[in-house]
Amino acid sequence: MHELSFHETTFEKCLKCNACTVNCPISNVSFDFGGPKHLGPELKRMMDHQEVIDDARIELCTLCGTCDASCPENVHVSTLTSYAKAIHAEENGTKFRDLILSNAELVGKLASTFAPITNMTMKVKPVRKAMQKVLGIHADRQFPTYEFSNFKRRYNKKHATTEKKVAYFTGCYATYNAPDVADSFIKVMEYNGIDVAIPEQKCCGVPMFANGQMKQGLKNAQFNTNSLLEYTRQGYDIVMTCTSCTSAFKKEYASYLKTEEAEELAQHIYDADEYLRILHEEGVLNTNFATINAKVGYYAPCHMKGQGIGNPAMDILELIPGFEIQDMAASCCGQCGTFGFKEEKYPYSLELGKGLATVVEELDADYTVTECGMCKNQLDQLTNKQVKHPMQILKTAYEKVPVTS
Amino acid sequence: MRPIIETEVVVIGGGVTGVGVLRDLTLRGIKAVLVEQRDFVHGTSSRNHGLLHSGARYAVRDEEAAIESYRENLILKKTVPGSVEATGGVFAKVPEDEDDYVAKWVKACAKVGIPTKEIPVAEAIKQEPYLNKRVQAVYHVPDGAVDPFTLAIDVAADAITRGAKVLTYSEVVAINKQGSTVSSVTVSNRYTGEKTDIHTKLVINAAGPWGSHVATLAEVPLKLINNKGLLTVMNHRINKQVINRLRMPGDADIFVPAHNVTIFGTTGRNVESPEDFSLDREELEQMLKEGEALVPGVTEMRMIRAFTGSRPLYQDTDDSDSSGRNVTRGLALLDHSTRDGLEGFITITGGKLTTFRYMAEKTVDLVCEKFGVNVACTTHEEQVAHRDAKQFFKETDIAPAAKTKLFHWAGKNAKEIETSLNNETEDKIVVCECEQITWAEIKAAMPEGRFNLTDIRRRTRLGMGPCQGTFCNQRVAALAVEKGIATQEEADWALKDAVTNRVKGMGVVATGETSKQLQMMETIYKVSLGLNEEGKSNV
Repeated sequence: MHELSFHETTFEKCLKCNACTVNCPISNVSFDFGGPKHLGPELKRMMDHQEVIDDARIELCTLCGTCDASCPENVHVSTLTSYAKAIHAEENGTKFRDLILSNAELVGKLASTFAPITNMTMKVKPVRKAMQKVLGIHADRQFPTYEFSNFKRRYNKKHATTEKKVAYFTGCYATYNAPDVADSFIKVMEYNGIDVAIPEQKCCGVPMFANGQMKQGLKNAQFNTNSLLEYTRQGYDIVMTCTSCTSAFKKEYASYLKTEEAEELAQHIYDADEYLRILHEEGVLNTNFATINAKVGYYAPCHMKGQGIGNPAMDILELIPGFEIQDMAASCCGQCGTFGFKEEKYPYSLELGKGLATVVEELDADYTVTECGMCKNQLDQLTNKQVKHPMQILKTAYEKVPVTS
Repeated sequence: MRPIIETEVVVIGGGVTGVGVLRDLTLRGIKAVLVEQRDFVHGTSSRNHGLLHSGARYAVRDEEAAIESYRENLILKKTVPGSVEATGGVFAKVPEDEDDYVAKWVKACAKVGIPTKEIPVAEAIKQEPYLNKRVQAVYHVPDGAVDPFTLAIDVAADAITRGAKVLTYSEVVAINKQGSTVSSVTVSNRYTGEKTDIHTKLVINAAGPWGSHVATLAEVPLKLINNKGLLTVMNHRINKQVINRLRMPGDADIFVPAHNVTIFGTTGRNVESPEDFSLDREELEQMLKEGEALVPGVTEMRMIRAFTGSRPLYQDTDDSDSSGRNVTRGLALLDHSTRDGLEGFITITGGKLTTFRYMAEKTVDLVCEKFGVNVACTTHEEQVAHRDAKQFFKETDIAPAAKTKLFHWAGKNAKEIETSLNNETEDKIVVCECEQITWAEIKAAMPEGRFNLTDIRRRTRLGMGPCQGTFCNQRVAALAVEKGIATQEEADWALKDAVTNRVKGMGVVATGETSKQLQMMETIYKVSLGLNEEGKSNV
């Protein structure tokens, strides 16, 4: 029996209304993709207790989760498409490139160890041409830079001592590419009198799910669930600065692992801005911000939107005096994690990114704000505005407050 | 002057029995015309589980039916492979069932030669995850699933290529006699009202539940018990193999997989009219409640629709049994010349889907005897064209799901479908998404005569999925008008007809998701497309 004849019954509720396909970013730029309705609930219905169907078009699904958010019947569309990816990987094999890309953590470890060389090499044209040829990673795609002094080397506290305790799931991006985001988060928490611990953790699994590496992804999910539950059961809240990681813990883990533990853990997961908003609602947020006179555009990552938590980054940043922030309300950026690096997906990635790039240009703000490191990567390539994470801005707002004696 | 057709035998009824008889007659070199009041399998032949019996269900109570079923099961797997899925089946005993019956049943199966094999409960549950975890004994049997739509279409097509003639939408309005011998039948076209006389030596009444009505036209008495059963279509296929309850046959004890769905049933209530296809919510609820024993949670599962059909049960004696369960499932072949003194009139009734070929064989044996024809039956060996088409569509660029369906379905149309898929971009459009049907497939299966979405459905599965034609019926109607296959009026009529039909079947199961689906369908057709009661639309 095919081990991927997985048990998932939400497809039963599909009314075929096409809301998911209408809202799917990929379906909006190309007819090459079969659409989430077909590759999700429809395909699953045709495979249950029948032969497995491998549809290669599933490679174009970015697992952005927009389908889940648009479904009026709460069908777990992206769970179904992620299994379609796993089936495709199993039936068709996985490209070496996709194995590498899906292992963001290993790449991060290696690349940051040789950071100056990595960063320089990735900008050398002949090297990139060779990479495209051998690996299928598009030569024109800019890479995020890696930092030798990765976050693991900077901060490794295992226990928090304050009354309110936060365990920070750093994620690969803030660990290896943008330790400044992680630093900023620790500082922001410090300004609120909250001690932050760093639990044992592995990559959240999102790049694995996206590349059909379901088995490895589930292994990581199980590891993280076990590790983080030790913290939540001692009263810690789990906070993350990467909205894709947050989304995985809140949604995918529960949906894929189908365990009580995953459900339990999901109740304790917060996006950093969401967490600060709760502190504010409880009246305990330190709102002693310095004035920052800036006009900025906010871009909401798909994995943030999919959490159904409104727009916490804007809610918090609006508390900064002088800070003028506007939601750019653009559709998917097109980087979509590992998707935008792939040679054959690169044209779709650029096509997807056009809308966002136009809004950034038209708004002509001082800079762009977004939580997602991968969205930032696309914005860095397609726009000439600087991109900042909300935590970096908040840290500055706290730090600039004049010290009074 | 009415048009006249000359033939040797007229077969009345386009169900599996009728088409089986037609093919057997043709194979033995006898000229024949089949007349059907609507489309093939409009009646009982499509209103059933689609179960290819292993005979095990009848082993204890009806030895003859059991023997016939098992023998025909093996023959059909060989002769109509395109319409049979050899799924295998299980008989499962739940705690509520009588303990003694198990040994009795095993013994009875052995006696008539039906192979059974006990499988460990844990293994059975692994194979069939929806099966009740409390089952106490599970046996494997060689049950199968048969698609009555393709079966009838293919058997009829085979007869037609061998020279037989078929008139659908032709209702018999008179059976004419010369003295005490049948000489012709008059049929009336249901759409046009045009009448045709068919001169014949012999008439075979294979009209199923309409058998009494046909006998009345020939002025011979025929009492049939029309025993109506209710069945429901689950939203998806919940089992790999047939699941039966290991007890004396009763209501609500069979789940049969049918392509992408499972059909669950049934009940038995005697009704007067063969046209009684009424659906009763209370009956459905009782059936579902009973079904919980085999598949816990079935009450809460999404269903696509429900439907009813009548078993035409023949009983010589008069003691009526309202459940119909004790009447034999054996066939009844009546020679009205010996029975009622009417020459040239035979009735074949009773029997089962599984034994349709054998019913035809017995009937045509009698015809041959009457005609003095000495040709042996060959339908137990002669294969009907297979539907398998795996050697086609290698270069065809369509959705793998649509391709998978074609591999099992395209059959003798494969070449034509392949050519049109490879050459016409529009033909690649998957018009019915639930069942993955392309326009190419619809074009190839389009029946002659008036544009009718229900007839297309029987040939392609168009609109048989969860949305019940919410999207595909309008697409096909629009394409048909655009391509000059139907006029605007014909398309409107066909849409109205199809939607009315679907709404009826959905209505009785419309709780939860299906009620929303139904609302969406009605909104799209009645509000967005403005399809009003008269069948006019703004499409």
